[in-house]
Amino acid sequence: MSLQAATNDVYLDIQKRLYQEARLLSAEQYDDWVLMLSDKLYYRMDMPQKRLREDKVSDRAPAKTPIFNDNLDSLKIRIGRFKTGFVWSENPMNSSRHIVSNVEVFNTSKTGQFKVYSIVELHRSRLDSERKRFTVGREDIWNKSAEGYQLLERIMTLDDSVVLDSNMNFFL
Amino acid sequence: MKQELDDLIDFKTGRQKRLIYSDAHIYKLEMEKIFGRSWLFLAHDCQLEKPGDFVRTFMGEDEVLVVRQTDNSVKAFLNTCTHRGNRLCKADHGNSKTFVCNYHGWSFGFDGELTSVPLEDAAYKNNLDKSKFGMVEVEQIANYKGLIFATFDKEAPSLEDSLGEMKWYMDIWLDAMPEGTELVGTAMKVELPVNWKLAIENVSGDGYHLGWAHAGAMTVTAESGLAGLSVGNSEVDNAAAVSVAGMNGNTVLAALDGKSGYAFYNEYQKIWDYLDENRETAVERLGPFRGEKMWGSQINMTIFPNLQFLPGLNWFRVYHPKGPGKFEMWTWAMVDKRMTDEMKEIILNNVSRTFGPAGMFDNDDGDNLAAATQQSSGWRSSQMDLYANMALGVEHSREEMPGVVSEGLVCEQNQRYVYRRWLEMMKADSWADIPFYNSLEEARATEGKS
Repeated sequence: MSLQAATNDVYLDIQKRLYQEARLLSAEQYDDWVLMLSDKLYYRMDMPQKRLREDKVSDRAPAKTPIFNDNLDSLKIRIGRFKTGFVWSENPMNSSRHIVSNVEVFNTSKTGQFKVYSIVELHRSRLDSERKRFTVGREDIWNKSAEGYQLLERIMTLDDSVVLDSNMNFFL
Repeated sequence: MKQELDDLIDFKTGRQKRLIYSDAHIYKLEMEKIFGRSWLFLAHDCQLEKPGDFVRTFMGEDEVLVVRQTDNSVKAFLNTCTHRGNRLCKADHGNSKTFVCNYHGWSFGFDGELTSVPLEDAAYKNNLDKSKFGMVEVEQIANYKGLIFATFDKEAPSLEDSLGEMKWYMDIWLDAMPEGTELVGTAMKVELPVNWKLAIENVSGDGYHLGWAHAGAMTVTAESGLAGLSVGNSEVDNAAAVSVAGMNGNTVLAALDGKSGYAFYNEYQKIWDYLDENRETAVERLGPFRGEKMWGSQINMTIFPNLQFLPGLNWFRVYHPKGPGKFEMWTWAMVDKRMTDEMKEIILNNVSRTFGPAGMFDNDDGDNLAAATQQSSGWRSSQMDLYANMALGVEHSREEMPGVVSEGLVCEQNQRYVYRRWLEMMKADSWADIPFYNSLEEARATEGKS
């Protein structure tokens, strides 16, 4: 099925929303971020594996292993952990920048629901000279609601088969 | 050299010289004396279902391929071409009939034999004895109840002798149910700038850090009613838990309540139902003490030098050192095979949520251990000492269980025994010089005898 591009108006509205979201995530304004999330949120990232191209994933291949597999409730628990003030590794605050690009927006079969592809690159400046960088492809479903566009589903593809930071105390 | 090594560790006072976390020469010696001759975990049986199934893993810094054979045995090979040394396989796991080198096209069967060489007639003039250039096999391989281990040392005592009385504890997970265990999903891999021993000691015996280092995760799981057993709950107090060591370097940290293992689960009631339904089987197979008090409890198990698994929390982890200040940590979810798919899914999600790369508990440990590594690397700091001297002199025996026992999860006995084993192996010229001990009596009789 070929995808039908959304109108330019919708594209711009959703792009604005993604930029706003990136700014909130970089600033750790998670209470504001939660307002952008649907009550029925599905938020998922799997652990990548290096497989041979000819080795087709079959039924008996191991199940996918999640790094994030969250709904709104479990995401709020993760956020609650940061809000306790007891997550010592985030004090002083690590500087981070979420850079969003390659945004594409398509209509779906449901009115007011849009499929959105994007790439997010996270730069983390940690202690002294430590720099960390994550690149992640995202496939989202955004839902137009009275509160503006809300994130219903986000499937993230991490590019590393070995995670190269001592924690993932962030959201993408 | 032996004298210098003796200065690094003092078992009696629980002292370690920080140099052991940063020094390149010491690290190189560890690769030879410890990783070069210990039984190292390679794979779980369930990862190698059919002939040709393989996983790529590490023994120390040596890369190995672990492959299921046609006769159902398992072989482990160095993942390197015998011609000019290229890596043979880059996939994490999969199924393959052959391993073909990308450099010149030498092709090896999954039994390790060199089967074809390009231009064999024309270039080698038929002078190449292919039978002498098969993939190099690891010296010994053995399976303990589903866990496959290997050692590079052909003189190493058997796996079962090495594990010693630790088997009694391992069986609480591996043998509680007749079908045994399996891994769910694939390895969650994280690279950390940490000396491998700091991670091992943390899980081997450090119940002390739980309430403080993990205060954020502990608070939020307790507040949100996730925990089932909240922090400070008397059901996981020191009186109802033990630290056990003195089993050839292997250690156990165990609650004795029979259900606290699932404390951080958000759907723990389902798991508790499972425990109720299967308690009788566990008691039949393990006896009343292990079946009632230990099966289902929060337990940390450490198999020296680099394997740790936590029944209850259900994670299973191996550490691959990558230099004095770096390792890769591979974590799986492990379950009883007889659990329903729904339960396996719950467990996989909980392992990921607590101890995966974005795990709410695991994400508290990395920076602490990285900093301890860095703070052992300075000119001055590397000459400093560290102490694991909590609860010195209280170790004893208990009739119900093997090994050297101290009460409680907050106790540094286990770390002292891990470093004692480290020193014994570092000093020994051969396995004949490495003492074996599985009780307080034996541990005392062999103290300082390496």
